[in-house]
Amino acid sequence: MNLKKMNKGLDFLRDKYDAAKGEITVKDGHCYVGAVPLLPGRMERKIVELKKMTENGTLEGVSTLRFAAFVPKGADIEEVLAKELDLAAYLGASDVVRVMAAGNGEAINVLAKLANDVNVSVEVAASLPKGEAAFDRHEIIAKRGVACDQTVDTHTPHASIRCYGAKGAVEYTDVDTELFGLTYEEIWNVRAAFALLQKRADAKVWKSAWAKAVKAADLAFKADKAKTAKTIAVKKGLDTNQSIKVAEVR
Amino acid sequence: MASNLVNHVNPVKKERQYFMKAVKIAMMGMTHGHTRKYYQTLLDNKKLDWIASCAQDEDAKKTYELYQTGVPCYLDPEEMYEKHPDIEAVVIASANDKHFEQMKWCAEKGIHILSMKIPTFDMAEYDAMIEMCDKAGIVCQIELEMHYNSVVRRLKKLIADGAIGKIKSFQATNITLSPVWAFPWQGDPKASFGKVSRLKKGDERFKGGALCDHPHIFDLIRHLTGSSFDYIYAEVAPNLRDGLKVEDMLMAVGKMKDGTAFLFDPSWSRLEEKLKVPGPGWERFPKRMEVNVTITGEKGMITCDCFGPNVYHNGAPNDRYTVQYTYFDEWIGLIDEFVDCIRNKKTPLINLKWHKESIQAMLGCYESIESGKIAKI
Repeated sequence: MNLKKMNKGLDFLRDKYDAAKGEITVKDGHCYVGAVPLLPGRMERKIVELKKMTENGTLEGVSTLRFAAFVPKGADIEEVLAKELDLAAYLGASDVVRVMAAGNGEAINVLAKLANDVNVSVEVAASLPKGEAAFDRHEIIAKRGVACDQTVDTHTPHASIRCYGAKGAVEYTDVDTELFGLTYEEIWNVRAAFALLQKRADAKVWKSAWAKAVKAADLAFKADKAKTAKTIAVKKGLDTNQSIKVAEVR
Repeated sequence: MASNLVNHVNPVKKERQYFMKAVKIAMMGMTHGHTRKYYQTLLDNKKLDWIASCAQDEDAKKTYELYQTGVPCYLDPEEMYEKHPDIEAVVIASANDKHFEQMKWCAEKGIHILSMKIPTFDMAEYDAMIEMCDKAGIVCQIELEMHYNSVVRRLKKLIADGAIGKIKSFQATNITLSPVWAFPWQGDPKASFGKVSRLKKGDERFKGGALCDHPHIFDLIRHLTGSSFDYIYAEVAPNLRDGLKVEDMLMAVGKMKDGTAFLFDPSWSRLEEKLKVPGPGWERFPKRMEVNVTITGEKGMITCDCFGPNVYHNGAPNDRYTVQYTYFDEWIGLIDEFVDCIRNKKTPLINLKWHKESIQAMLGCYESIESGKIAKI
């Protein structure tokens, strides 16, 4: 991630839409604004659309979430798993209360349970060659309807552009006109920082949500070692899975 | 090589440029299919102050009120202007045959104009529009929102950077469902094409259908090649929709002056439910709208889906497989450019003079359909 470019993008959005001052920093590979961990996954537009579908009646009676995330070799799979478990809680609108996992080196397969009885599976692997773009999949299976961020009959993401030039085939997927030129990961971190600075995202909620996700991911690895499911006590209080108001652009 | 490439908003270079007085803006007509797409942007953009709307009729006003924008809506433009004499700019969101009189109304008052994608198909009217906007010294930007699509921006960059060399062939679709059930004027030859004119001898249909809804690809090829239309040949196919007075299926082939061969599909080839107000479940085919481009160059080729990837579901209301559009922020860049042109006295990328040749190429399609021969542009 290019922090300088990201903060320039953030300054542009803050200026344009009158948001508070602030800057993105990185600690242990995770982005923050001040002491608040960013949740860029919640800002990805595909996740925003999926969340909407769980709330506006498009999907009824969510039963199971099937997630996957594949990243280049050397990436921190515990961080990746934490992100996916946070998205599971967010899209499932309920906290993770139990995790079981089977891991092997750079891969881990997790079966989790949400407090509302929804099942979650997450496959994570740091198996892509270095330099390859990471990809993921989020499928929500409900009594009425299935929603997914990959189209039917495919198992890898569709790209907006495929250019067959002198360098062979190169794919491009540009997703944000205002932040054109930033990478996918950079864009959603900037959007997450912007949401915090606009007060559309709640700092307390994100701190708490990320702490829960990190804990659940840690327990998943412990469950793998112990060959026993690990339980997480649900604490009453802050609902960390409510949707964030995202600027509607259509 | 590509020319006339858009000077897009650059998030890095444009910082601190927005300390300018908000443009007081209004909307007129409220019957165009794109009307609703402006609401969020006009409300969110701090460079704008959306102060009034004026609907064509009671029906349009009722539909407008469903969206609860909080912006007052009038039925008489004079009443709107009397109550809001500080209007600086207007989005003319009306049927094509209303554009001339509404542009004239704006030009007489020195009000800047954001026009829908077809100003008019009457070239005498078109020239008069250019003249009156020039005389009034106002900005008249044509709404071709594809230029603010991030995929198109990448496409322009790749072509400009020479990723596939000089363009040899260009194939593009601009295919959608038909909006006629929600916006009946788009199926009315007079309102859409400007006059009642048969497609060709012996054909019961009239000009004014799918072609009039899809100018983007006629524009995009000019930007990407930097060339002009040479000739065009078009054919209409049998309609998919019974009872429609205008064409819904057609294709065109032709050449640009630099030799680029092209093939266009500007059809309403995706069926729809006959909804009065667009909303979930409008589409029967999973994807409502597609702009797909394939370009062959001297050194390679590009395939491009301007509205993908997305997310997908088969939930409510119709339990059919459906594309839920995900990346869709063209209106933000479009409005940013409009405000920039007004405040900084710039000429919009898509202005009346530039757009004229695209309209002429579309008219060439109708001419070819009628004659069965190529139309020189």
